[in-house]
Amino acid sequence: MSIALIDSNNFYASCEESMDPSIRNHPLIVLSNNDGCVIARNAEAKALGIAMGQPYFKVRRKLKDLGVKIRSSNYALYADMSRRLMSLIEANCEELEIYSIDEAFVKINRPHDYDLNPWAYRLRTTIYQSLSLPIAIGIGTTKSQSKLANHLAKTTASHAGIFDFEASDDQDHWLKQVAIENVWGIGRKLAYWCRMHGINNARQLRDTPSNELRQKFGVTGIRLQHELRGEKCLNLLIKSIPKKETCVSRSFSRPVSNIEELRQAIANHAVRASEKLRKQHQHATAVTVFTRTSLYTSPFYSQSATQRLSLPSNNTRVILSTTLSLTEKIFCSNCLLIKAGVIMQGLVNEDYLQLSLFSLTNPKEISRHKSLMKSIDYLNTRYGKDTIQWAVCGINQQEWEMCRRNLSPSATTLFKEIPIVKA
Amino acid sequence: MRLHGAHPNPSNLLLPLPSESVTAGFPSPADNYVEDNIDLNEELIHRPASTFFLRVKGDSMSNAGILDGDLLIVDRSLDAKPGNIVVAILDGAFTLKKLTYRKNIPYLEAANHNYPIIDLRRYGAVQIWGVAIYSIHTLPRRK
Repeated sequence: MSIALIDSNNFYASCEESMDPSIRNHPLIVLSNNDGCVIARNAEAKALGIAMGQPYFKVRRKLKDLGVKIRSSNYALYADMSRRLMSLIEANCEELEIYSIDEAFVKINRPHDYDLNPWAYRLRTTIYQSLSLPIAIGIGTTKSQSKLANHLAKTTASHAGIFDFEASDDQDHWLKQVAIENVWGIGRKLAYWCRMHGINNARQLRDTPSNELRQKFGVTGIRLQHELRGEKCLNLLIKSIPKKETCVSRSFSRPVSNIEELRQAIANHAVRASEKLRKQHQHATAVTVFTRTSLYTSPFYSQSATQRLSLPSNNTRVILSTTLSLTEKIFCSNCLLIKAGVIMQGLVNEDYLQLSLFSLTNPKEISRHKSLMKSIDYLNTRYGKDTIQWAVCGINQQEWEMCRRNLSPSATTLFKEIPIVKA
Repeated sequence: MRLHGAHPNPSNLLLPLPSESVTAGFPSPADNYVEDNIDLNEELIHRPASTFFLRVKGDSMSNAGILDGDLLIVDRSLDAKPGNIVVAILDGAFTLKKLTYRKNIPYLEAANHNYPIIDLRRYGAVQIWGVAIYSIHTLPRRK
């Protein structure tokens, strides 16, 4: 059984291009929340030398002059494209571990002729045709090897997005091509240490005496070394662990200094968080709200408050009243707050809960609330976000809401916003 | 892990039929005949991961039964064959036309005589984005 690491190139930018033909073949960048920094670039934008992580306000003019298309991050779209991507990958492998929004480790059997290239080529074509997402596939005996192979698949032009390290008859050569900074699990500090000790690439790391490595890296270093040699140490994590906590938070478009605005923001987060829980079929046993000023202002202020719920809940009404009473506790009248959020804690599964719940309170009451929430969720899914809104969330949210001036439509998740096709 | 398809919440489209349940007294003789729910997604969408929805604007396909305002279901995993109604990317926009070949030359044809036939040789590279598999049309209803 071999392991492949599959990931999508320039994932956010590729998703935007996938659903909007008008931006194809143009340089394109995607901005982080609040249109802060450049977090994704397509190939054309990279060719123009636009760097990752640059603050948008600094490069805005230059981008305009270069005719670069700008998009705010559209997580509804990326999450949906990610689900599609993962389900196509899953249909073409033995086992799948979703590692992040745009990458997955998979297990795959080698065919009789040992050649996995046709499989990889087919998968790459299928995904490109179905989703317009370009992917890279790296194959190895271990997770670390597959990660390294994936890096080589992308950086070596002749590999054209696919590299089978395990089948390569010149592994030493390829290991030497991977700089120590690009080895999976080697952070900036460790890379620096390695360089100081003459370990400049993956091959030298593999061949460093184990005792030296153990002193600095501990057992993880030894594991990495074994993995580079092709001895499996890390398994695929197949089962998704149910979430124990969920957080909804946003930065404000401008600093907030009155409690009304803070209440409104917190209320919106609480509504969002409750929806999230219902989607995951979970209930919270405790709720925390928090807020803070910018890290660069003085005095710096950061405050949070937590309350246990008398009964586990995902009822928006309950969550709202709890979070709003907590808001009074975290507000500071002389501070310019730039961020606030709600954390749902001690999440428990719905099925597990039901019995104890029903024994404590009036079951009729509970099922009435449940069906109310269900109806609200249904209407908001069917007719768009905030079709049914809670008054405390405010009617005019522009005041504090995150600025996403260049947001693309929810082209795959909302009927109202699906793309137009000219006939 | 649960993977969702073209619709974020497919169960919303279930048309409910009574399901078997434990009730006091004599079991209903009809229970044996209750089948699964009718699910429009299941019927229309076989490959949710590669199926997308688009909104039709314009009347160039009216003779093919696709009208302005229709909801178009597109399966991108299908290879476009001659005669298929396809979504192509032309001049930076999604365009709905019938794919035809004459003497091995590909054309995009409207289903309405007021529109010209598009010779694909005029374009450098044309991407066929997907193959249209259904068009859902709202019928007039009296309120």
